[in-house]
Amino acid sequence: MKVTICIGSACHLKGSREIIKQLQALVAEHGIGDKVDLNGAFCTGNCVKAVCVTVDGTLFSLTPETTKEFFEKEILGRL
Amino acid sequence: MGITVDVAYKSLNKFSEILCGDQVEILKTADSDILILADGMGSGVKANILSTLTSKILGTMFLNGATLEECVDTIVQTLPVCQVRHVAYSTFSILQVFQNGEAYLVEFDNPGCIFIQDGKLVPIPKNLRTIEGKQINEYRFQVKRGDALILMSDGTVHAGVGQLLNFGWQWEDIAAYAVKQYAVTVSAIRLAASICQACDELYMMRPGDDTTVACMRIIDKKSVHLMTGPASNPEDDQKMVANFMSDAEAKTVVCGGTSATIVSRVLNRPMDVSLDYSDPEIPPIAYINGIDLVTEGVLTLNRVLQLLRRFVQNETVAEDFFEELDKPNGASMIARMIIEDCTELHMYVGKAINSAYQNPDLPFDLGIRQNLVDQLKKTIEEMGKPVTVTYY
Repeated sequence: MKVTICIGSACHLKGSREIIKQLQALVAEHGIGDKVDLNGAFCTGNCVKAVCVTVDGTLFSLTPETTKEFFEKEILGRL
Repeated sequence: MGITVDVAYKSLNKFSEILCGDQVEILKTADSDILILADGMGSGVKANILSTLTSKILGTMFLNGATLEECVDTIVQTLPVCQVRHVAYSTFSILQVFQNGEAYLVEFDNPGCIFIQDGKLVPIPKNLRTIEGKQINEYRFQVKRGDALILMSDGTVHAGVGQLLNFGWQWEDIAAYAVKQYAVTVSAIRLAASICQACDELYMMRPGDDTTVACMRIIDKKSVHLMTGPASNPEDDQKMVANFMSDAEAKTVVCGGTSATIVSRVLNRPMDVSLDYSDPEIPPIAYINGIDLVTEGVLTLNRVLQLLRRFVQNETVAEDFFEELDKPNGASMIARMIIEDCTELHMYVGKAINSAYQNPDLPFDLGIRQNLVDQLKKTIEEMGKPVTVTYY
């Protein structure tokens, strides 16, 4: 599964770094590093929805507060 | 043969002084580069005024083709007379290097110029002339690629007098140290800063005199092409990228997520974005085959501008500045390239406005690209490097 987090200017200001940190920690904690491929991407043109995260092509709008819920539902839920 | 130079200097103020009594002017004419170092008598405000007048008069007159006699005459007539010592006095050195490799050195009462060629010290002969009662040394010679020339104020040779060293740091010993540092540094600023740093240590961090080291290194032309922002008309993307990539010798830098995406698309080369946040405030860099550096845009450029301004103001250029410059984040990498590995900068700037950046929720105004570009241009020109900007 390919998860892409936008680190463009707008997303960065809205907390990409915190989200990446959380996702990296969650992936390691659940031992699913071999199944989940975390990537960075520059601006995908959806800055209004910052922070933009795509899972296999589907766009999600995240904040650091909703990251854990997103991980459980969209990442664990799809594995 | 088209010689290019890398010029930089570093000053230490006399301990407890806010102003420096040494002044450096870096100038460019159509066919030459000029470096002037003046050291005003005394310290603080008085010395600062004397050396500023001297360096500015010399610079302005030289630029307009005045003879040495006219310059010296003007300085003698202009400098205010010190009420304590009843003289008007500032030493100076002028170094002019022409693009055809000819060099012209004028020295008045400063420690002699250190001239390093092929890794060795080359002595500069005495050829004294008396102008307005002043003994002035004049020397014409040839320089070639790889040479380094160092001008100094007498704060260097006085370093440590009566404290760590009985007679200060002798010229011969400074020259030997300079030859050693020449071998381990690449840029003019690192060479100048390393000698200044040694002086500061000999003074035990309390300089007894204003100390300045100005360095000129003869180098190959190094152009940097920097692209930032998408073109206001997407049909111009192709043209913009083509111009940006037009010089195979130039270093290429892309600043901006959308710009990077455009370059990747036009060149049909994949982009790999890293997740490595080496600095929490600066978004990670990315990689495109054949592009030297790919970074985020406005936040990174804003930091670049801060770093370059620190460099131009000079006072804070010390170990910690170089530590900052050597960090692996996008902004430090760009600043380092512009300071150390660039003789001219060409910017390719897109004027498109990202509507999402007009969002008042964002804690930082991202719509300031053009303003940033203007300020970068101004700051880099102050460093003595020509900048061109093309808008799309």
